[in-house]
Amino acid sequence: MEPEQKNPLSEFAPQLERTSIQGYAWIVFLVFIIGIGVYAFLQQVFRGHEVTGMRDNVVWGVYIVNFIFFMGVSYAGALISGTLHLFKTAWRKPVIRIAEFITIISLLIGPCFILLCIGRLDKLHYLVLFGRIQSPITWDVIAISTDIFGCLIFLYLALLRDLATLRDYELLQLPKWRKKLYKILALGYTGAPEQQQRLNRATNIMAAIVISIAIIVYSVLAWIFSVTLQPGWHSTIFGPYFVIAAVYSGSAVMIICMWVFRKVYHLEEYITKKHFVAVGVIMLVLAAFFGYFTFSDYLTKWYGSEKNDELLIQLLFREFYWPFIISNYVGVLLPLLVVGIAKFRTITNITLTSVVVIIALWLNRYIIVVPTLESPYLPIQDSRPEWMNYSATWVEWSLTATGVAVFCLLFTVASKFITIVPVSGVQGEEKKEEALV
Amino acid sequence: MKRVVMSNLFLFILIVLAVRPASSCAGEKNDSLNAPAESRLVLNYVCGADSVNLTAILTIKRGDAGFALENAIVEFSASNGSISSILGDVKTDQEGKASCKASLAKLTGSKDGMVTYTANFKGNATYPSAEVSFSAKPAKIRLFFAIEDSVRRLKVFASQKNEEGEEGSVPKETVVLYIPRLFSLLKIGEIALDENGTGSVDFPKEIVGDTLGNLIVIAKIEENDKFGFVQGQSKINWGVHKQYYKAEVPSRELWTPIAPLWMIITLLIMLAGVWAHYIYAVYELVMIRRLSKKDKPLF
Repeated sequence: MEPEQKNPLSEFAPQLERTSIQGYAWIVFLVFIIGIGVYAFLQQVFRGHEVTGMRDNVVWGVYIVNFIFFMGVSYAGALISGTLHLFKTAWRKPVIRIAEFITIISLLIGPCFILLCIGRLDKLHYLVLFGRIQSPITWDVIAISTDIFGCLIFLYLALLRDLATLRDYELLQLPKWRKKLYKILALGYTGAPEQQQRLNRATNIMAAIVISIAIIVYSVLAWIFSVTLQPGWHSTIFGPYFVIAAVYSGSAVMIICMWVFRKVYHLEEYITKKHFVAVGVIMLVLAAFFGYFTFSDYLTKWYGSEKNDELLIQLLFREFYWPFIISNYVGVLLPLLVVGIAKFRTITNITLTSVVVIIALWLNRYIIVVPTLESPYLPIQDSRPEWMNYSATWVEWSLTATGVAVFCLLFTVASKFITIVPVSGVQGEEKKEEALV
Repeated sequence: MKRVVMSNLFLFILIVLAVRPASSCAGEKNDSLNAPAESRLVLNYVCGADSVNLTAILTIKRGDAGFALENAIVEFSASNGSISSILGDVKTDQEGKASCKASLAKLTGSKDGMVTYTANFKGNATYPSAEVSFSAKPAKIRLFFAIEDSVRRLKVFASQKNEEGEEGSVPKETVVLYIPRLFSLLKIGEIALDENGTGSVDFPKEIVGDTLGNLIVIAKIEENDKFGFVQGQSKINWGVHKQYYKAEVPSRELWTPIAPLWMIITLLIMLAGVWAHYIYAVYELVMIRRLSKKDKPLF
């Protein structure tokens, strides 16, 4: 007689059943930040874009930077989770759900910043009604909406086994509505061989699709810039450069999320140093690629000595010196040193490096957007200095903070709805050694 | 150990950040802001057929920065050396421009016919005063069109007032001919005036006019030491008639309402490929649901 197998869900049940006082305090804090953001948003709605730093000359600012950043993080999540799934990476199980959540949560937040950037939201539907296929903005609308659907399907497929486990685990002390919700969402999945076969097939296909979509969609986002005749933007390498930067920033966000959930839910047994090093190595490789693309882009512009490119590079080294150094030097070299040298490779160091990388990558997007708009081919002359240069206002900063707060809140809520570490892998459907490291 | 590692990293970052170019000193902006303001006036002068057009542009320079001053009052005046008359006070617009038109009949020149025009900004509490002057003798250019032996010819006559106040010629000057186009003036020729102040040139045949062939021809004496800028213009229907081409089938270009066919086909193929996979995934989910009825639960 075989010994009775312990349901791994019993270990994760408290995470779903209860919220600590610190947990509630955290949620209240996030809601408070979101409240400030709502006030800032109302200011913007009633007073118009004059409450932002955007003007006729610099028409894009922090909102677009946030949009690119969150979309990049999302695509990175899709690429990482899709790749880990498709190649059946041995250590993927405890961290793959974090990547999946990053994908969908960032994908929901990113486009909101575009809406904040649009002056006339009442005419938003014109994008669909009168959108021209030739416009890169229309490409972006089509690409993002397609991506949202794809990522939702992929996430649902990835969650299905766990939803079935949650439905069937009777000891779970949850309200009836939640149990009913699990039952509906589980679609009657019982782990029968044919069901497994169909689920695996669909998940594999969707994993491949989300990888391709992530690359295409982020390239489309890059093309919005590179098809425009502006100094610094009109570059053929912007597509792959954006994709690399996206996955790079996403891997850093993933490491931070791993560190947070490891601490908060005491997952030290599941998310180990091995996982940090593994994702850290991905980050290292991407840092090298990112550095290569950055160098290649600026070298060709500098060597070409085209007048406006020269002016832009001068501007970057004068007015935007700190952001330029942090994003293109510190942001590239730090991961190479910390992850590359074995004795620096600790969980804390890798996580701190990820924080620096995220700041660096955000600044990277900032110095792509703002300095170019401040130095156009046809400069505005004899105009007010505050119209020629961009400076973000408190409204923009508070809505940026709101974006981060919503990201954290949705992640917190998601982790209360389903376990951060997939539990279905230890049910006997898959080999145990593959399930948990 | 951790502390050592982190301090090493911090040191590294400091070294990288410390190596910054001298040109990026923070004082640059402040220098520009603290520099004294300087008012600058530029006066443009054009003498037309019956009036003189004066345009003053007022800008404020502070260090490297500069901007146009709006709503500042610029006073225009004309003088013949002994008598000075105010032509008017004009407020500057958003671009710092103030324009004044003075009738030629009302202007009296000095003995040699010269008139000195002055634009004056009296300044205010924030910006200092500025003044600019320009002297020129009023003159006129008239254009005549004639067909001689089936050849279209453009003739010009430039005149000035002599000491007795009678009309005399402007001899031995160069008149440049232009046609206004969309963004600038198109030069079509030059005429060297004879001793009688007249000159002529064959009119070019292939200049496109409006749908009726109308052209505006401008004749100018430019940057002359004595006359400054003198301009005369006239209209003639000697241009090629413009014909608007309307394609029978709307073209598919990047800038037309209908997208190029290749773009639509590429988009449809990509979307169809992606959405077909989505539909397949959803179909598999539906099949999983259907299969559930005959299977046992996990626990």
